[in-house]
Amino acid sequence: MTMRDEEIIKKDIIPFLSGRIKETMLKMPLECFKGMEEIRLRFGQPLALKIGDKDYSLDAFGRMQEDLSRGYIVCADDIYRSIAAISDNSLYAFEEEISRGFITIPGGHRVGLAGQIVLGGSEIQTIKDFSGIAFRITREVKDCSLTIMASIYPRDLEPVNTLFISPPRCGKTTILRDVARNLSYGTSKRRGCNVTVIDERSELAGTYQGRSQMDLGPRTDVLDSCPKAKGMIMAIRSLAPHVLITDEIGRYEDIEAIQECVNAGVAVITSVHARNIEEVQKRPVLRELLAAAAFENLIVLSRRCGPGTIENIVRWDELCCG
Amino acid sequence: MLWLKTLGVVLVVSGFGSYGLMGARSMDQRVEQIKNIRLAMRFLEKEIAYLHTPLPLAMARAAQCIPAPASSLFEDCSQKLQDRQGITLNEAWSQSLEKIRKKSELNNGDITVLQSVASQMGMSGADEQKKLFAMIQEHLHIQEDKARQEAESGRKLRSYGGFILGATVVLLLL
Repeated sequence: MTMRDEEIIKKDIIPFLSGRIKETMLKMPLECFKGMEEIRLRFGQPLALKIGDKDYSLDAFGRMQEDLSRGYIVCADDIYRSIAAISDNSLYAFEEEISRGFITIPGGHRVGLAGQIVLGGSEIQTIKDFSGIAFRITREVKDCSLTIMASIYPRDLEPVNTLFISPPRCGKTTILRDVARNLSYGTSKRRGCNVTVIDERSELAGTYQGRSQMDLGPRTDVLDSCPKAKGMIMAIRSLAPHVLITDEIGRYEDIEAIQECVNAGVAVITSVHARNIEEVQKRPVLRELLAAAAFENLIVLSRRCGPGTIENIVRWDELCCG
Repeated sequence: MLWLKTLGVVLVVSGFGSYGLMGARSMDQRVEQIKNIRLAMRFLEKEIAYLHTPLPLAMARAAQCIPAPASSLFEDCSQKLQDRQGITLNEAWSQSLEKIRKKSELNNGDITVLQSVASQMGMSGADEQKKLFAMIQEHLHIQEDKARQEAESGRKLRSYGGFILGATVVLLLL
């Protein structure tokens, strides 16, 4: 695992950092790469690395520092060079992504951007004068969903509607990605399904220049950067999916689209930000959806034993019958 | 002895004359090179504004539209960016301009105009880039007109001047 993390970061992330930060990071001991989730550059602040739940910085010798104030201070040139590298010196080619606040780089990693927001009417037009960059390291954890596949796909070609309930950073996107892959490939007992992934924020497929950077299986279509509600309806009409997979629902139009899909006989597997089922039920829009028995499975995730810990799998009929 | 003197006269006059002709030719070439760079810049603008092609690729394509040595500016810069050695466009463009300065007829004024876009090129939205390229087109037009005027007024002077200077030197030596 250590080697794998080191390889990913050295190959996919470090080339996009400024020369000084690149040199510093290459001096780091190999074991420090393990479990690294984020690299953050903030103007005038120490370089920040998130490993597990802790924040560290790096000094000029590549030594990890828990006291952030002893870390390398990021300057404007570091941010300018990183932005230039991420955008291939071509910000105009990433206008759409920048207006959404992030750019996806090869390998499917997402780079969040902070700076001055430029509005065009009521919409965010772009970001200028960048002040912060957050590299979020994406990992494919193949077969991390195997333990729950029996609940999601109990019968041949009939996956069931499933809602993942999880606070941020608990691995729901990684699990959803693996669910898509496993459904698409199928198993010796169950045939592979046509899967459509509605990837509004390019996280599930990590699409870079129109190509998915993640293995989502041979029967998967991806609607990248597509609003969830519109994408679900479009997919039903044009791609004949058995399963629709999308991430982080919450708006009223998403709920309407899910109900449309469920009524059309297409299984929906999606996720929502919450710590437990009670929190989901407190949100009026989602409460309505649960009450309508739209989801057969509710799977609660946490970080208790690391990202992707399955806390609970609740069947809707068990929930409503107490 | 006469044949030796005649040979000397011919060599001096043709030497000065050739130098003058080369000077005249270099003035014409400067006009041509500025024009080629301007055309490549226009091509680059279309690639950026309408196709949103990333600069390394757009520059490689622009280089194919024009002859050497002007094409080497875009070719060299594109190559440097594609190498991904952490170099910014500003640096790659400046280094490529230094190279082309040595192998072209462009003067300091032309290089300064081309250098002026380096910090902005690529680093804003498509609309801003269009404005930037419109500005550089205007500047290059001005440089091209100046170069053409200089060529028109200087061409005869240099072409004939070389021979006349050669003849004067011969007369003085005799």
